[in-house]
Amino acid sequence: MSQYITLNIDGSDVSTPKGSSVMEAALRYGICIPHLCYLPTISESGACRICIVENIVDGKPVITSSCTLVAKEGMVIRTNTEKIRRLRRNIAELLVAQAPNSRALQDIAVKCGVKEVRYPFRHDDCVLCGRCVRVCEDLYQARAIGFIGRGSQRYVGFPFDVRPDFCKRCWACVDLCLMKETPCDGPMEIGKEYLCGKCESTIFAGQYDAGDCIRCDMGKGFGCTRHKF
Amino acid sequence: MHRRITSPENLEAVSRGLAAERDDGRVLMTVCGGPGCQASRCHDVASEIRKQVKDRELEKKIRLRVTGCHGFCEQGPIVLVGPEKIFYCRVKQEDVREILDHAANGGGAVERLLYTDPDTGRTVIHEADVPFYRAQTPDLLLQNRQVDPLSIEDYLAIGGYSALGKILAGMEPEKVIQEVTDSGLRGLGGAGFPTGRKWAACRAAYGEEKYVVCNADEGDPGAFMDRGILEGNPHAVIEGMIIGAWAIGAQEGYIYVRNEYPIAVEHARIAVGQARDYGFLGANILGSGLDFDISITRGAGAFVCGESTALMVSLEGKVGEPRPKDVEPVERGLWNKPTTVNNVETWANIPSIIRKGAGWFAGIGTEKSKGTKILALTGQVRNTGLVEVAFGTTIRTIVEDIGGGGLDGKKIKAVQTGGPSGGCLPESMFDLPVDFDLLQEKGSMVGSGGLVVLDEDACMVDVAKYFLKFLQDESCGKCVPCRIGVSRLLEIVTDITEGRGKPEYLDLLEDLGETVAQTSLCGLGKTAPNPVLSTLKYFRDEYEAHINEKRCPAHICKALIRYVIDPDKCNGCMACLSACPSGAIHGEKKQVHTIDTGMCDKCGICVTVCGRGAISVQ
Repeated sequence: MSQYITLNIDGSDVSTPKGSSVMEAALRYGICIPHLCYLPTISESGACRICIVENIVDGKPVITSSCTLVAKEGMVIRTNTEKIRRLRRNIAELLVAQAPNSRALQDIAVKCGVKEVRYPFRHDDCVLCGRCVRVCEDLYQARAIGFIGRGSQRYVGFPFDVRPDFCKRCWACVDLCLMKETPCDGPMEIGKEYLCGKCESTIFAGQYDAGDCIRCDMGKGFGCTRHKF
Repeated sequence: MHRRITSPENLEAVSRGLAAERDDGRVLMTVCGGPGCQASRCHDVASEIRKQVKDRELEKKIRLRVTGCHGFCEQGPIVLVGPEKIFYCRVKQEDVREILDHAANGGGAVERLLYTDPDTGRTVIHEADVPFYRAQTPDLLLQNRQVDPLSIEDYLAIGGYSALGKILAGMEPEKVIQEVTDSGLRGLGGAGFPTGRKWAACRAAYGEEKYVVCNADEGDPGAFMDRGILEGNPHAVIEGMIIGAWAIGAQEGYIYVRNEYPIAVEHARIAVGQARDYGFLGANILGSGLDFDISITRGAGAFVCGESTALMVSLEGKVGEPRPKDVEPVERGLWNKPTTVNNVETWANIPSIIRKGAGWFAGIGTEKSKGTKILALTGQVRNTGLVEVAFGTTIRTIVEDIGGGGLDGKKIKAVQTGGPSGGCLPESMFDLPVDFDLLQEKGSMVGSGGLVVLDEDACMVDVAKYFLKFLQDESCGKCVPCRIGVSRLLEIVTDITEGRGKPEYLDLLEDLGETVAQTSLCGLGKTAPNPVLSTLKYFRDEYEAHINEKRCPAHICKALIRYVIDPDKCNGCMACLSACPSGAIHGEKKQVHTIDTGMCDKCGICVTVCGRGAISVQ
């Protein structure tokens, strides 16, 4: 039997096994924290920062990613304050501007309330969420791909850019890639990118609110934990 | 002559012996061997002194010591003579004979090599009277002047390792931590976290194996205080680390020093070797049963590795990327064991605190920031170098009294504090004291201690762009806000400097800047928007001039300036025409010339060659 601890998320007390993250605790109770680089069973990296929450420490909110925050007894977490929504929206806006041809990112943007993109679109496609790298390392123990370079030169690739023998071609990396699904209307042309927003109607019809999961279809796009894939 | 010291009493006797040995009546000549003076060839001066002392058989009268950085890099190489410290600056090899003549015969000072106070025009004889030093409160930099970094005996002679002796003679670890807590010492690497609290948490953390780490990966452009200490007085750092190890219960320590500091690496390595020979490192230190050793690891040139979690990942041999700090390193740090990471300057302060007591340290500084801070004063200011001031000293004192005001009498507009991710403060706020909390409140920070002075010729938008570029290049790229956010900030600021700015960009910069600051994974990202946010706060008019009037008030941003020839002043001498590398100037001899703006590269060469001042920037 695992030990359980109790913490408070958005005003409700929830219990979760000791050692689990705040994100896991929240999702278990249907409190939806949007997330991107987080995958169940795979080590978390805290890279995308979409899943930020406010952790109230000594009465002061500390913003941190919920996937890396280990739940502790008596913790007070706010996932859906005005400020968090605004910051999350800004991050989602950065992401969708970076790779408009990803259904997952378009959906995340809509879900986080992005109404317009204030930056020129870039077609970097890869947003370096690291899902592929971590699944290769953690689940398949192959370490056939990894991050190369630093900062704006960083990319995902094979060692010395040559496919090594220990890559078993399992395609797990491809399966988990955010770029696998294009927006509903297909890939956008360079210079004619737009914010898709087709799923927006779905959200607002269901009166979306954190903690009120509408089992939206877009969850598939970013591997929402409630879609068993 | 290596003597292994086996007990605190033995240590005291050895120190007393070494101090007596040094007090032999010979005149001491101190040559500064800091990085600044080395660049101005102080080693030539030192070897010339050594040679002449030998040739002229002055060994009985003169003693030479090459030390670490004194701070006044602007005036290097610096030579101090005798106990009264006659201050010679900009000494050259050929000046040595004259200095030696005066020193050996005890006959005054060489007038022409003395420092001239530019305000009064009078020469200053003694170091203590030099205006640069007058407002300082040196402690660490004073030790720098008293020891040869390659000689543990020098350090022992000034009472070095006596703090270690004191604690090992019967001071409980809890007592040591209490002393450090009472002193109010805060992390001097930038974050300002109370050191005592960090140690207490690390001591309380569960685990047998613990580590102490010295962060000497100083990457800020223009900052070299950690370098100055590690090169000039490595034993203070080592002693601090041993005391830290005793306090938290660590068995191993690491000095993570950047590879671009070869002398610091070498000096630290030699010092660790000497400490081992003397029995300050290794098994059963001073017969107390404490086992502790230090290894030196060289960083591979990533700015982000100065962040504590990235540093530990790098120490483990992996790519230096920060980890989420939801579990503090004091609980799970290096190799997932409790680890205390402190900066060079923090470690170096520990021996003095133990030796002189917490009360002494707590007596210096402001209410919440205690002790002294070494700042690297650079930029458009008359005196540059390392300055050590007590917390609470105002920026105005540092810039005007110590720094001597603007270069060439120009008006100072702002200071940029705390390295690339610090902020800019305008001249109107120069009465602010140097204090962790106060500076942070105003959108800047003490940071590692960089202090770049900017005069009226600086364009604040361009300054923000420069630092953003640096941070974009140095971001590790792991988290989205820092990698993409900073590159977007840079994109927007570049647009503004190149005349493509729109009024709504200012709000966007603020919104995005706050997002990056709040949501980034590590300290680098959290502070990365500071340059743009602080300049936007205090110099919004400059941003507005760039955007609304497409004008750069300081004439820096090339896309927004235009070189024009005043027809009334031009006499058609053709100097500018022949000097222009892009062939943009047209005209006949003795006829007024014109500049073709389309072809002009805006290099500014024409302005420098024009003898009549006919060319101006608009």
